[in-house]
Amino acid sequence: MRKINFWAWFWVILGGLYFFLPLYGTLDFSLREQRGVLSLLAYQNVLNDPRFRDSFTYSALMAVATIVVGMLLIVPTAYWVHLRLPQARPIVEFITLMPFVVPAVVLVFGFIRIYSGPPLALTDTAATANMLLMFGYIVISLPYTYRSVDTGLRAIDVRTLTEAAQSLGAGWFTILFRIIFPNLRVALLSGAFLTFAIVIGEFTLSNLLARPAFGPYMVLLGQDRAYEPAALSIMSFALTWAAIGLIQLLGRGAPEQRQLGGVH
Amino acid sequence: MAFLELTNLVKQFGPVKAVDSFNLAVERGEFVSFLGPSGCGKTTTLRMIAGFELPTSGKIQINGTDITFVPPNKRNVGMVFQSYALFPNMTVASNIGFGLMIAHKPADEIKQRVEEMLTLIHMQGLGNRYPNQLSGGQQQRVALARALAFQPQVLLLDEPLSALDAKIRVSLRGEIRAIQQKLGITTVYVTHDQEEALSLSDRVVVMNNGRIEQVGTPFEIYNFPQTEFVAQFVGTLNSLNAQVQDVADKQLIVDGQLIKSAHALDGAQKGERVSISIRPERISFYGEIQKVNRMECTVENIAFLGSIVRIQVRSGENVFYMDTFNNPFLELPKVGDKVQITFSAEAVLVLRQSS
Repeated sequence: MRKINFWAWFWVILGGLYFFLPLYGTLDFSLREQRGVLSLLAYQNVLNDPRFRDSFTYSALMAVATIVVGMLLIVPTAYWVHLRLPQARPIVEFITLMPFVVPAVVLVFGFIRIYSGPPLALTDTAATANMLLMFGYIVISLPYTYRSVDTGLRAIDVRTLTEAAQSLGAGWFTILFRIIFPNLRVALLSGAFLTFAIVIGEFTLSNLLARPAFGPYMVLLGQDRAYEPAALSIMSFALTWAAIGLIQLLGRGAPEQRQLGGVH
Repeated sequence: MAFLELTNLVKQFGPVKAVDSFNLAVERGEFVSFLGPSGCGKTTTLRMIAGFELPTSGKIQINGTDITFVPPNKRNVGMVFQSYALFPNMTVASNIGFGLMIAHKPADEIKQRVEEMLTLIHMQGLGNRYPNQLSGGQQQRVALARALAFQPQVLLLDEPLSALDAKIRVSLRGEIRAIQQKLGITTVYVTHDQEEALSLSDRVVVMNNGRIEQVGTPFEIYNFPQTEFVAQFVGTLNSLNAQVQDVADKQLIVDGQLIKSAHALDGAQKGERVSISIRPERISFYGEIQKVNRMECTVENIAFLGSIVRIQVRSGENVFYMDTFNNPFLELPKVGDKVQITFSAEAVLVLRQSS
């Protein structure tokens, strides 16, 4: 028994070292911009750089837009598949997995080829190019958002809740926004934070569509500076972990169906 | 004209006819139960009334209006589900008031109605709780209140007590019946539990293979089953092999012993083998009670079922049961004893096979 415990701990520690040592190395390096002392100078430089603020704000807004539009597309689709088209589920699942097979670079070259000239010249103006980028983000985050929404729908009795609402006079809009969306809170939050993390760090789409996003800024910074990219890596890592932590925290308060014993 | 009328209702799923030639007229304020085994089409029929399934053919009318193709949210029909189907994101009060909110009723009216409903289901003061903070019985009472709050024309209940334990089931079915009678709402109740159907309903519709076997009051269904299926499904029934002795005098031979039936042996020939049925509680020991039929049997088993003692006896090839009240001061025969049993001519049912 003791032997099993020893080896279990051995592998846990080995795995932890494999994961945390490079991270520690990056953290340590990011603190050594001033010779001989540990300082937060690299972090101050990053935070004081207006390009950082602009690109981060841009990407954060794009992430919010991606989450809202993506959820408005995905939730009704997944709901309808659960309710009326269960036979279409394998097809829909296959489509949602396409971003794993088709690289983002292929997607963006397809976008540029189709939308850089008439009749739909979306790359011509900033607003339409942003829209194009947002839809690109929706596509690349599809495997994660669809899966989290699908898992959420499996956890509730979609059909009966829908029928109960219908019998009380509710139409489709009311059912979706008063019953389905609120009961998918945890699933939507998971999908939202994953999308946020993906969009914040995304490089290929934003770079090739020439949008001022955070991903290209990080790469650009890496070409010019030594310590600041390390500081940025630590910051984006902390951001991702904060997002995962928030999913866990908010998921804890989710309503769950459990039956207590007794009638009174 | 009846309040709820189902005319020639048929529902086909591919090659399978789930409901076939279903005709039923339910009067205003009546409590009707659909009773039958799993897959007999009772829930499908209920779902057609609710609008969740469209009939392949036939017509559904409520108060003279054809609602066959009216969407479920426009039918004004309340429904209670087996799994409660309370909205987990809403409080008890919000759940109950949901239908009124959809109907754009003023907030004051909704509040008042919710309070009335909470009083009706004896859950005053629990309006702020969430469904996951309630027991199963409480959740189903909230579901009932929710279905009644918006004053539907018809109330539909789809096996509402199946998910509850036995004690709660009995107490809640009493409450359902009391509330239904108080409000006088036309109610259709689906169940596979015969005790539930018989104790709650004004009339019971016994279904099998998508068809109606018999419609009648609980008394009629139990005491005068028209088909063998109804007799077998509702209550316990002994089936005995008999031979027709005299068609006109309604006499039969069971293991060489002559018995009389009060029911006509229509279409039977002398010497023909038929199956007759007798309910266990219609059979007594011959002695103080003396009925027209008497048979000699051997006791094979005695089972105590609480208030009832079920005695298994054999007469030749026929093995059957008789029920007697459990009286601790009454001496029962022992296994292997020869006993004489008696039953009336009315107790001997000669049933037709289901169509």
